[in-house]
Amino acid sequence: MPDSIPPAGTLPPTAQHTIGPFFPRTFFTEGDNDLTRVNAAAPPSTRGETILLRGRVTREGGVPCLNAILEAWQADAAGRFNHPLDPGRHGADLDFLGWGRAWTDAEGAFEFRTLLPGGYDDPAGRRAPHVNLTVMGAGLMRRVLATAFFPDFPAENAADPVLNLVPAERRARTVARAAGEEGGIRVFRFDIHLRGAAEEETPFFED
Amino acid sequence: MDTLAEALPPGLFAPLPPGIEPAVPVPGYPNTWTHTPAQPLIRRPATRTEVTGPAELWRKLPCGESNLAVPAPGKVAMGQLMHMSGRVLDEDGRPVRGAVVELWQANAAGRYFHPIDQRDAPLDPNFVGNGRVRTDGDGRYAFFTIKPGAYPVPVKDTWWRPPHVHFSVLGPSSLSRLVTQMYFPGDPMNEWDRILTSLPDPAARARLIAQQVHPSEVGDGWLAFTHDIVLRGRHATPEAP
Repeated sequence: MPDSIPPAGTLPPTAQHTIGPFFPRTFFTEGDNDLTRVNAAAPPSTRGETILLRGRVTREGGVPCLNAILEAWQADAAGRFNHPLDPGRHGADLDFLGWGRAWTDAEGAFEFRTLLPGGYDDPAGRRAPHVNLTVMGAGLMRRVLATAFFPDFPAENAADPVLNLVPAERRARTVARAAGEEGGIRVFRFDIHLRGAAEEETPFFED
Repeated sequence: MDTLAEALPPGLFAPLPPGIEPAVPVPGYPNTWTHTPAQPLIRRPATRTEVTGPAELWRKLPCGESNLAVPAPGKVAMGQLMHMSGRVLDEDGRPVRGAVVELWQANAAGRYFHPIDQRDAPLDPNFVGNGRVRTDGDGRYAFFTIKPGAYPVPVKDTWWRPPHVHFSVLGPSSLSRLVTQMYFPGDPMNEWDRILTSLPDPAARARLIAQQVHPSEVGDGWLAFTHDIVLRGRHATPEAP
């Protein structure tokens, strides 16, 4: 990092726009939604519990969203990021990129294969294990930002500084549900309801 | 021993200036009225998950496909050949090196090579219309493509999307993730476009319009446009290996 920072923001950021309905299928390759390996040819990470994170994206009235694009970003199983802004980066799992992308089918369904993330200490407070999800698609002029927490960690979740910003009566909608096992891998379910009444809409964030 | 507080100077990610975010839902764009979240968004602190991002994303997303106009020798796309280039910068004007830039667009007839686009305009067997590159040491990207056509939006009270190019940029952090569109200078349809005009600030709209390069600089082979893209964040330029 350079020592001094120039005066703020000489250039305003470029405005965002909708990703639209036609984000190319040809951009996807096998393994894009598999975070447990850097790419389809890379060996899987051996540090952590592999899980499946599944859900459906629906719009007003519960109608499924076809071809919504989701991007996942999360810490490794020990709560580290291989990134200059993580002081623990040198211990990060280098077989784990932490990023994946998926698109929804006609039922609005998506799936990520990933590792159960670790929590970490942050100046804002101790972060509970979580996966940040970005949803983009036709009709969404802005990226929609959701976070999936996990039911394994009730005490950590109760102390998480971001989860605590969600109105208490809506918090359950930002915690994935345990949904059994498949081939010895635990499945978690996280549905994303884009628009609805307070008791049905997924809590969304703004950065 | 550096701490995150030291590694993350205050003001690294300021809130967006007013007028830059699209005003939603958009009148005359029915999909936005059924998809846009209705509940207030919850402003969260930028914790480590938000300020970090995949530092080696090109290992997952193969980069280097930049010639959309001539996908194979002798196979030339229909339309006006166009060179599209620019820089990816942060809010301080520093180049963002190693950013992954994805570009996709309609063909010259205004149709996408996508199973969802079933409009009866012709597909071009020589044009798929997408590519992905990494920015170089000066933050530069470049594609060789064709100028896209306009197309009507199939809604009641229709409008035509002006020719535009989609960009998806994956920079150094989640907070700097950007999906946007670029327009062409001087097209009257720009002012009628319900997506471009959803930006409240006219200056923010103007910044989405590319600049055409004078033919004296590019010769007679193709049209050339430049377009710089500014990602959110300052100082947010980790060196890409």
